[in-house]
Amino acid sequence: MNSQAALQTTNRIFAAILGGYAFTWGFSVLGITSLVALGIDFHEAETGLSLIAFLVFLGLFLWTFAAKSMIRVWLVLAGGSAVMMLIGTFLQNSLLS
Amino acid sequence: MFNSLRMSMGWVHTWMGLVLGFVLMICFFFGALSVFDREIDRWAIPDTRFEPQPMPSFDKVLKPIYQQLRPDPVDLAATERRVIGSLPDPETLKLESLFAYTTHRDPVLLIGGEFAIPNQPIDPADDHQHVHGRATVNPATGELLNDDALKIGSDWFYPMHFSLNFNWMMVGYWIVGLAALVMLAGLVSGVIIHRKIFREFFTFRPWKNLFRSSLDLHNMTGVVALPFHFFFAFTALVIFASNIYLPVTHTTLKPLHEHHEKLEAARTGLPHEPAGVAAPLASVDAMVAEAKRRWSERDMAGEVGFLSMNHLGDENGYVSIYRAGSDRVALVGEGIHFKASTGEVIREEPPRSVVSSIDEFLTGLHLQHFEHWMLRWFYVFGGLLGAICIATGFVLFVEKRKAGHAKTGSQGSRIVDALAVTTVTGMVLAAVGMLVANRLLPADLLGKGHWEQTAFWSVWGLAFLHAVWRSSPVAKARHNPAWREQSLVLGLMSLCAVGLNWLTTGDHLIKTVFTDTYWAVAGVDLSLIVTALIAFFAAAKLRAPVSEQKTDNALSRNKQVNAYD
Repeated sequence: MNSQAALQTTNRIFAAILGGYAFTWGFSVLGITSLVALGIDFHEAETGLSLIAFLVFLGLFLWTFAAKSMIRVWLVLAGGSAVMMLIGTFLQNSLLS
Repeated sequence: MFNSLRMSMGWVHTWMGLVLGFVLMICFFFGALSVFDREIDRWAIPDTRFEPQPMPSFDKVLKPIYQQLRPDPVDLAATERRVIGSLPDPETLKLESLFAYTTHRDPVLLIGGEFAIPNQPIDPADDHQHVHGRATVNPATGELLNDDALKIGSDWFYPMHFSLNFNWMMVGYWIVGLAALVMLAGLVSGVIIHRKIFREFFTFRPWKNLFRSSLDLHNMTGVVALPFHFFFAFTALVIFASNIYLPVTHTTLKPLHEHHEKLEAARTGLPHEPAGVAAPLASVDAMVAEAKRRWSERDMAGEVGFLSMNHLGDENGYVSIYRAGSDRVALVGEGIHFKASTGEVIREEPPRSVVSSIDEFLTGLHLQHFEHWMLRWFYVFGGLLGAICIATGFVLFVEKRKAGHAKTGSQGSRIVDALAVTTVTGMVLAAVGMLVANRLLPADLLGKGHWEQTAFWSVWGLAFLHAVWRSSPVAKARHNPAWREQSLVLGLMSLCAVGLNWLTTGDHLIKTVFTDTYWAVAGVDLSLIVTALIAFFAAAKLRAPVSEQKTDNALSRNKQVNAYD
């Protein structure tokens, strides 16, 4: 494996684990706050999301290795995470106010 | 980087599977042992070889025992680092909450509690203001058991499978979590790269060469138990989701969580905070009787599995009584809460919602507290199938590359093979070696548990050194003799453990099976004998020479079978 390929592989591993985790985190935050905003019990929402979250993570993990463009992968993972975190914390603040 | 989906999935399967496979071996093997953790405890602590019994009377037996409970020194030291000033004398700390826990397989009872501390935390957000204490009780006599005796099954093998017993910064948990995710990815990618999955279900050709038969065994163990493997890796992540792997509700969503807890305390009537007014404790036995009466009314008569008390000695104190889940998959539940000072029912938990039922069913199916011995054995075989699937994966990795590596002078397959020896025979050696040490060390030895742990790591370390020392033939495309040698030692050591159990306790198999039946100990002894037989069989098989010609032919054919790398 030359250094170019090694760099690409490292990029994919980082994206799959850390990027995937960040997306899953944002997904859970947005999921729980949305469900609570819809009137569902907090612990129900928490449990429900924990059941879905790791399937989402698994899908993202595999997709990161299968995807053609790594730029798109990072855009979806990091961008998606940031957007969902933002909406999720906004929802939390409005639920508490 | 990859030209096709199959190639990318092949890469994930091979390399992620290889790196985390060493961890997965530990998870599957020690997970399989955990199914009978309580039984291994009985083998390792002969003083507790008596029949399991239900939760004893709180008023008569347990109440005085909690007076003897003391803060755990390790937790005391850890708490001291988190608070301002030094902690008061541990003898003077007051118990603020307590619990008792038992299962249908426990002759002994686990009790514990939280001691209040007056100190302020260094970090104001740190609301963990107490020190834990834990003890094991003989419910028949009401005396505390020697805390020095390590419960090898439930306090060593069991945590091994989810934390690697590597608790610093929870690193062990995170490695296992990543391994679980990779297990899921390995299963999905495995299905994608092996297109003829239905045919592979029925294919096993042990008479073919090592590569072919390993591949068959890898596919068969992977496919036959695919739902089992997927389920365990998945629920492993779900079980620890809210506390370790994805603690969003304790971090990002902490404000929402706390808001909800206050609402819930108001709705359920279970006080979140103490009142600050002292109050006596009513009869807990009467509360237990009332809880049992209510369960019978719901047509689910049962025993108490978990009992807890909060805000001890306070006007706001309450007692929670949960039913043992030995007759169903979901865990302890049907909680009924009583006011501690009067014994009146504050709250009876309503039937579970759909989401909670699914969650409790899934986690319950992983943690298997139910009473069904055949199903428990299926769990053991399922776990061992997973271990075989991963071990054959190592063999495939090495067999496919070692001829090529021998030509280029690469040490890659040699290193992988040595690590495979360490995590296959070496790991079983470590577990059996620990049992041998347990029987050899005197019962009253100070810090016996630590010596047993040292024995465990030492045996494993020696197995690793031995595997590396004997590994040079692999670099010449031959087999590492360590496989055979460690199998032989494993066979001898397993028989040794059975013999030592007989010598030191007098519990030989004729007694534990026929004359004075005690299946917990007999089961461990019989499993050790089966382990010895398999190990001797493997050693005999590994003695047979492999012709170089056959291996070379096989390898050129394998190139066509697996094109993804």
